[in-house]
Amino acid sequence: MIQSIFSDEHTVVFLQKGPLVFVSVSATRQSEQQLRRELLHVYHQIVSMLTQASINRIFERRKNFDLRRLLFGSEKVLDGLLDVMDSDPSFMLSAVQCLPLPSSSRDALSHILQKAITPDLVFSFLIANNRLVSVVQEKTVLEDARLKPSDLHLLFNLIRASAFQAGEIWMPICLPLFNHDCYFYAYVAYLDPPECTVCLVLLSTDKEAFYAVAECKRKIEEAFASQNALQWVANTQLYYVDDISVANLRHFLYKPSKVLDHHRQLPQFTCPEMEVGYRSQEERIRLLDPYRNMHNRIHSTSRPLKLIYHSAGKETLLAWVTSKFEMFACFTPLVTKKSAISELTKLLRWIKKEEDRLFICHLPKYSTAPQPGRSSTDRGSSARPNTSDTGLLSLL
Amino acid sequence: MLMISPRMASGMQEKQYTPSLLSFFIYNPKFGPREGEEEKKILFYHPIEIEKNEKIRNVGLCEAIVQFTRTFSPTNPAKSLHTQKNRQFFHEAEENYWMVMVVRNPMVEKPNKDGKPPTVEYQEEEIIDSVYGSVLQQCYCMYKLFNGTFSRAFEAGGVELLTQKLEKFFYRYLQTLHLQSCDLLDVFGGISFFPLDKMTYLKIQSFVNRVEESLSLVKYTAFLYNDQLIWSGLEQDDMRILYKYLTTSLFPRHSEPELAGRDSPLRPEVAGNLLHYGRFLTGPANLKDPDAKFRFPRIFVNTEDSYEELHLIVYKVRERVNVMDLNREFCEQLDSLVGPQLTLLASDICEQFNINRRISGPEKEPQFKFIYFNHMNLAEKSTIHMRKTASVSLTSVHPDLMKILGDINCDFARVNEDEEIIVKAMTDYWVVGKKSDQRELYVILNQKNANLIEVNEEVKRLCATQFNNIFFLD
Repeated sequence: MIQSIFSDEHTVVFLQKGPLVFVSVSATRQSEQQLRRELLHVYHQIVSMLTQASINRIFERRKNFDLRRLLFGSEKVLDGLLDVMDSDPSFMLSAVQCLPLPSSSRDALSHILQKAITPDLVFSFLIANNRLVSVVQEKTVLEDARLKPSDLHLLFNLIRASAFQAGEIWMPICLPLFNHDCYFYAYVAYLDPPECTVCLVLLSTDKEAFYAVAECKRKIEEAFASQNALQWVANTQLYYVDDISVANLRHFLYKPSKVLDHHRQLPQFTCPEMEVGYRSQEERIRLLDPYRNMHNRIHSTSRPLKLIYHSAGKETLLAWVTSKFEMFACFTPLVTKKSAISELTKLLRWIKKEEDRLFICHLPKYSTAPQPGRSSTDRGSSARPNTSDTGLLSLL
Repeated sequence: MLMISPRMASGMQEKQYTPSLLSFFIYNPKFGPREGEEEKKILFYHPIEIEKNEKIRNVGLCEAIVQFTRTFSPTNPAKSLHTQKNRQFFHEAEENYWMVMVVRNPMVEKPNKDGKPPTVEYQEEEIIDSVYGSVLQQCYCMYKLFNGTFSRAFEAGGVELLTQKLEKFFYRYLQTLHLQSCDLLDVFGGISFFPLDKMTYLKIQSFVNRVEESLSLVKYTAFLYNDQLIWSGLEQDDMRILYKYLTTSLFPRHSEPELAGRDSPLRPEVAGNLLHYGRFLTGPANLKDPDAKFRFPRIFVNTEDSYEELHLIVYKVRERVNVMDLNREFCEQLDSLVGPQLTLLASDICEQFNINRRISGPEKEPQFKFIYFNHMNLAEKSTIHMRKTASVSLTSVHPDLMKILGDINCDFARVNEDEEIIVKAMTDYWVVGKKSDQRELYVILNQKNANLIEVNEEVKRLCATQFNNIFFLD
């Protein structure tokens, strides 16, 4: 099967997943593997709306079914995904970006989430400004599968695309890497209308649990109000490169390796807010290009590298992979190698110092006691296949 | 080509297959535009044994791919196509004339236990598009050197003449392609120059001028020593492909007897002209024999503007070679004029060669492993390649490092700015690539415990001795 076609200006990449064939034509200079991974994300986003089992079943019954009938209304989601993949490094790094927060505040918030549970509730997320603040999980869930960053990205994208403000949503969603054949039911609401920056997402396996889950949200809201928790989130200090006082460094991406347990459970990365010169969408997209190129070279399957130092016209770039971390940095173009190295050392020291604040250091768990009257086989099963839905997202 | 590498501790052997040519064809869609006429499009197809319908299918697929990519960019259609097992390269050599080369990806065959068939793992990343794309383009240039353009042949004798010429040339040429050892140097297609002091250089120049003046039929001259160019009057692009022909095909063919020594029976009869050591490499082997027939190969140069068809005369005195192009034979005149003077020049140059050798040190282990190329004059220099045989050049570094050089070259090609890329490979080798003002330099350093600053200092030292004032350094 043809995998890709290259010409001077464009790259065409093909991906086949089950009955679906994806084609991407790109004018960026990404590698074939990177473009194929983006197509895979698009596939997973479709699965998140329909489930893989449904897709396969539909095409088994009718070979020339027009999937657009089921995807009607979801163009915003897919368009949004394609746009965000071009400017957000989380896809390239396969990691989640967290909101920097002192660990005491984060622990307190997690505690509130941990308390507000109901049977069949599997995950609770708190998201602010598209960054993850806290995630708590049902204990037995972890025995079966792990939450992958890709699933989180798709979830964030769905919420972003739905663009609702006040009120609440109750929608089916499939997490493809977690379990691609069945739905969770997501309760989504903003805790701070009308700014709508802090978002609560509760995932349950029970379709009928809307009221129970809404009750959890009310409890969380109450607890937040009493402790003035929203203030902690609002006061969070998103940091800039200037805060580290390294004159030539303009931007960086830092991802700890899976050596530490919490990073193995949930890969994360951190990066500063964009400086002047990289604030616009175009600049963000432009900066991601060299990062992606270096990522591709350094992680090449046949000739991987340990370090890349690239002095170019607009900036000097560095990529570095060690057993402890992976990082990408961008300096002014005229930086000398000595300065670059010394600033890098300073940066690494700063990150070590701020580690607790920059990353989620542990993922709290809870256990939902089984409801009286339910059969014992229900307990501990992470998600039962739900075969009735075709997955229309009526609110999108 | 198959190489066995015993790798696994269990004693079972993995077989490593290097990239190889699967098929090569040339077609023109204008020759068979209608249904049922598809076969007329195919001008050359290797391997010949392939069934007609499959040939038509393959050509049709290439046409379709090119058309498909034209929808996105009409002037920049497809250049390569990747599948798991092979890679196809497309080159529109002349308007509507397409050349396609299909290379099988290198693969590893791992034996399975219990008599199961071995699992085959394809290593797609091992093939760098720019390298093999350049090899394909070179195929066309070499054909053009000896046969002129496709369109001229078609104008002169229609499809029959064109297919005849293609068959005759490519049948032999494809056998000389060594795809397993293509690398960055194929992308450059450069020429190795011989550095001379001013006096000797001027002597050579005046010699060349005298030859061209006294023998009016000589159009262009090129002067080489060993395998290196000193002077050329030809256009750059023509010289480039002629140089490749001379160094990979003509010279090696004639060098064996030379190396055999004076008294060896292998040495051909050089009839008694004791005044000089000159002889013709193309044309008459023995001037004194009046019955000997000879021909000079014809080459085509300046195909863009004046389109000249000339005869190639290669005249060699020991290691010095004079390449001249003219319109008719007149060898005796040439012999008597050029021979003695060239012999005299020979000793001058030889002296210079020895001086150079003393300066640069013994060739056994060069101090720095580097490759240098200048896009403006096509000068190339490599201390990594050791040309042991005609077409297969061995490198003194691991092939993966050469591929990393290829990657850096691709990155350089993206923008037209001066750049520097320093890379530390998994084996702790450092590779430094510098691009400045149309020149590229690649250095490989085997300094496992060095850090970035130390590597930088080493490269500075290299640049100071060999490339003074060429690269900006920090």
